[in-house]
Amino acid sequence: MSTGDESSGSADGDRLLVAEYALGLLDAVEHERLSQRLAIEPELRRELSLWRLRLSSLDDEFAEAPAPAGVLERVEARLFPSAATPRRVGLWESLAFWRGLAAAGFAVAVVAVGFNLFVPRPLPTGEELVAALEAEGSSLKLVAFYDQRAGTVRIAALSGAAVPGKDYELWAIRGASPAVSMGVIPVDSKSDIRLTDALKRDLAPGTVLAVTLEPKGGSPTGVATGPIVAKGVAIPI
Amino acid sequence: MPQSTAEIADLLARTALRDRAAFRELYRRTSAKLFGVALRILKDRAEAEEALQEVYVKIWQRADRYAAGGYSPISWLVAVARNHALDTLRARRPVADDIDVAIEIPDLAPDPEQATIGRGERARIDRCLGELEGDKAEAVRGAYLDGFSYDELAVRHKVPLNTMRTWLRRSLIKLRECLSA
Repeated sequence: MSTGDESSGSADGDRLLVAEYALGLLDAVEHERLSQRLAIEPELRRELSLWRLRLSSLDDEFAEAPAPAGVLERVEARLFPSAATPRRVGLWESLAFWRGLAAAGFAVAVVAVGFNLFVPRPLPTGEELVAALEAEGSSLKLVAFYDQRAGTVRIAALSGAAVPGKDYELWAIRGASPAVSMGVIPVDSKSDIRLTDALKRDLAPGTVLAVTLEPKGGSPTGVATGPIVAKGVAIPI
Repeated sequence: MPQSTAEIADLLARTALRDRAAFRELYRRTSAKLFGVALRILKDRAEAEEALQEVYVKIWQRADRYAAGGYSPISWLVAVARNHALDTLRARRPVADDIDVAIEIPDLAPDPEQATIGRGERARIDRCLGELEGDKAEAVRGAYLDGFSYDELAVRHKVPLNTMRTWLRRSLIKLRECLSA
């Protein structure tokens, strides 16, 4: 499949693409790709707001339907947990826990992860980093946890779906250096990545972790070719 | 701005400031509309209920991004719900491999920046959809309001997929010309 050549597409082709995006007609890959372009191309964003604004006059036609009982309570329970129940043992092992956190909202999830991992330690050691990876327009959300002593990065996807015929690839970007691949990652299970010595040097507070959508097996060139579908900065916990 | 619109804008602003009472009131005032959106697009009560929950979590988290960029507050809320429901559908749908069906794209109208926004929008889109042939206007509405994919639209209108793509793309070009005129 072509990659990136759309960016040199004609202005009219772009406008059509944006109209399809606004209507929701693009498939997952096309949608992600345009989301990435929208993030950096103000002209496309202007075009999108035109369509959204104009189409929004159809919103009257969505008929109201009384919401089922209990939804607000569940939303509040997730957003404002009154009593956090710290657990430590086996936490990482529980995919249900991670999925539950996804439901709790991303920011909350990351704080909770930081909190739970932090509980038994007297002071932050600076040897552990955590990053929350997400991007506007993308449903993929991940948490990455780096344990310097073990030399591993653990990844858990909180939301997002596998794309047929594609793989997600994780990259580390330190400062202005080119992105270094950390390999292909699954989104339907947790995974541990054992770091090479070079990667260990690259991972430090402030390193950006990014996930791109690549051909099956990962980028064939060693350079990211697909759109960034999630990214975040590693911070010490 | 009608009074109710101003009130919703105010509730949204207070939600952005982490006012939980305002958030509850916002839910009370708008959840029926947003549930209606989720239900129409997802066509399944349990899924729509799940979506509604996610949508209000997002609204709480992103209320600060509502900046009245021409959008009414209720349109912004509808957009959050609609986009969430569409994301759910999209994640399930296959990715097209016949990436493109070439159609001739005539020149589009110039940049829309001068276009007036906000006055008689509803009348304008009705008039512009009215200028399309009946089937084609229906397809545009089906995509926007029901979240139908090209495949689903092709089946509903009993035309081949490529015909539907070509139809709809041509219609969008016409629609844009009319909307920015």
